[in-house]
Amino acid sequence: MQKHLTLEQKDARLGVKLVLPALSIILLLILYPVGYNIYLSFFDVTMTGQSTYIALENYTSVLSDPTFWKSVATTFTYVIFSTFGTTLFGLIVAMVMNKKFPLRWLVRSIILLPYVAPVISVVFAWQFFFDPVNGIFMHFMVDVLGIYDQRFNLIGSPSYAIWVAIIFSIWKSFPFTYLMLLSRLQTIDKNLYEAAEIDGCGPVRKFFSITLPELYFVMGSIVLLRFIWNFNKFEDIYLLTDNVKVLSIYTYFKAFTGNMDLGQGSALVVIQFGLLIGLILLYVKKVLKW
Amino acid sequence: MKRLSRIMTVVLITMLLVPFAVFAQGDTEMVTEETTGPVAFEFWSTETQSDRQATIQVLIDTYEALNPDVSIKLIPVDENDMAAQLQTASSAGTLPAMIEIGAENAVAFGVDGLMNVDATQALIDRVGADSFYEGAMKLVESEDGEPYALPYHGWVQGIWYRSDWFEEAGLEAPDTWENIQKAAEYFYKPAENQYGILVGTKPENYAEQCFTPFAMSNGARLFDSDGNLIFNSPEMKEAVEFYAELAKYNPPGPQTWRARDYYLQGKMAMFFYSTYIMDDLSLAEVAAGSLTAENFSDLAGKDFDPELVDHTKMQPLITNTETAGYGVVVTMGLINQPDEAKTQAAADFLRYLYTPNAYITFLHMAPGGMNPVIKGIASNARYQNDPKGIFKHYGPEKMAEISEGMNDIVSFSIVDGKKINAATEVTTQQIIPQMLYKITQEGMDVDAAMAWAEKEMKALLD
Repeated sequence: MQKHLTLEQKDARLGVKLVLPALSIILLLILYPVGYNIYLSFFDVTMTGQSTYIALENYTSVLSDPTFWKSVATTFTYVIFSTFGTTLFGLIVAMVMNKKFPLRWLVRSIILLPYVAPVISVVFAWQFFFDPVNGIFMHFMVDVLGIYDQRFNLIGSPSYAIWVAIIFSIWKSFPFTYLMLLSRLQTIDKNLYEAAEIDGCGPVRKFFSITLPELYFVMGSIVLLRFIWNFNKFEDIYLLTDNVKVLSIYTYFKAFTGNMDLGQGSALVVIQFGLLIGLILLYVKKVLKW
Repeated sequence: MKRLSRIMTVVLITMLLVPFAVFAQGDTEMVTEETTGPVAFEFWSTETQSDRQATIQVLIDTYEALNPDVSIKLIPVDENDMAAQLQTASSAGTLPAMIEIGAENAVAFGVDGLMNVDATQALIDRVGADSFYEGAMKLVESEDGEPYALPYHGWVQGIWYRSDWFEEAGLEAPDTWENIQKAAEYFYKPAENQYGILVGTKPENYAEQCFTPFAMSNGARLFDSDGNLIFNSPEMKEAVEFYAELAKYNPPGPQTWRARDYYLQGKMAMFFYSTYIMDDLSLAEVAAGSLTAENFSDLAGKDFDPELVDHTKMQPLITNTETAGYGVVVTMGLINQPDEAKTQAAADFLRYLYTPNAYITFLHMAPGGMNPVIKGIASNARYQNDPKGIFKHYGPEKMAEISEGMNDIVSFSIVDGKKINAATEVTTQQIIPQMLYKITQEGMDVDAAMAWAEKEMKALLD
């Protein structure tokens, strides 16, 4: 039989064989947990591991819970503002870093620090910074500058906490966006700008007619990635503040605290997964035009 | 050529099979080990601090030296993570044989069938059922009187306050609702970055620990002795309103026990805390390691006050229409896991931990914080001679008073001497802390918040 195979077919078979071990490990580590999670979402799971099949009850009780919808709204606020902020800030910094100035190499490296620093250490720094009694922020605002007449708890307050979490996310992740955009900016043909100048274009026109279209697909991909990452974000928000209940944190509280409900937790994760996949497909079709 | 390749094939196959042979040998060894060899089990402790881990490890090492067949693996688990970790271990079939856990959680796990009641009862009989303080024992029992875990140590909570500030201001000790409110209001000077009191307002256990004595001292209960929910009562509403009023004199925003640092820095007049703080008050390093750093030399209260311990007094009981105190019993629990040998080994080790020397060594990890639940230990001379000199500082009488307080701990889950398991579930769910958070931080109306809490409790009980 094998004698009838062409060289290309043989290559293809070898390729499949070589990829197979890695592929099976990926399937085992990703597909199995996902499948098991979907399975669990149809059961009432107890601490002793005994599960009772309850069909769609987990889903109906999750969807009829107003706190779930509140957490969906919180998630979208967090994801939209942090993704937009990260992209915009990253773009501005990339444009500035694309200009020549002394010690640019040093500034370029320093900008990466928030992205590479471990989450836990920067979170503690932020908490210390914003501590209402001992924090330097309140010290400056109240005692030095006198902007506020009373100290308040910026990270702890239920109404401000989400904005602190969004600003934290922008600050922590903009270097990645900046890095990606800068590398694309450096490859844009200088002739385009020269031609535009000859045609009498100002900097604004050049930005909208050359820079932005050139960056479009890179930016589109970065926004997509940031959207996915922030949609599933847990550790940054959970460590920084405990009253921003985005979906992942809401799920954690549902599944692992108080009257632990792993079944409902699993249902929540499946819903979150469905939401994310739907939004990604829409985005890929409309924005990235794949 | 053909022959050479055949030889090569044989050699290759042999080489490939060698590791299997080695593993197979290992297998038979493991089988024999399992039948006659040592027993190994995991002990999950909520004492996560490294110095406490070291002390427990010393006890384990001593026990292992005496019993070479037993091997114990100590694993620190944060109290708040215990339920999640047990859940994971239960699914994975890797449950520990023994855990250290608060009495409320022990009961909650026990109701879920996670605790080994028979082994626990047998061990209590070995230690001697009469040796335990009855008040502590009551907290770990089921409604039918079956023990879910063994009481091991406990702490008593009280209001710690700046006695020098109180004296100067001519205020009375914070022992009644009125005196507490008066002092909290008097010392609340936010413009000077000084606060009146610390009560828990984050949706965490600490809030319920602070709230319980207020509710109890006003005659408010969660359940009556027949187990009917009587949460939404005028007495409870008064207590909630009073608590919300006190929270106005808190440091800004939602707060939990960590804000005790502000007291150590001289920025707060009163705070609710367990006797664990005795240790912290006496040790300068703790204050140095707390929030204020030398980088902020111009901040007020940066220096640790070595006189603080002398200027601090504790008020364990609160009085309004009744008098109430609060405390928590920490237990050692034997887990309901399939391997009998492990349970037996864990029970033997636990029996050893109850022998006076091992017991006192354990309690001395946090003198004052960890109080004995076994009769006769409080007056033991070795117990009173703690390595940090805390007993010397507070005097053996005060310490005995605290230890005996273990016998009078009040809890929502004991009504007229009867155990109400549902109250434990309400505590585990953190419904009351969430309600207090809604009122004090989200500005929810007291009636609405209480109605919400009642609805949650009813849903839980159904």
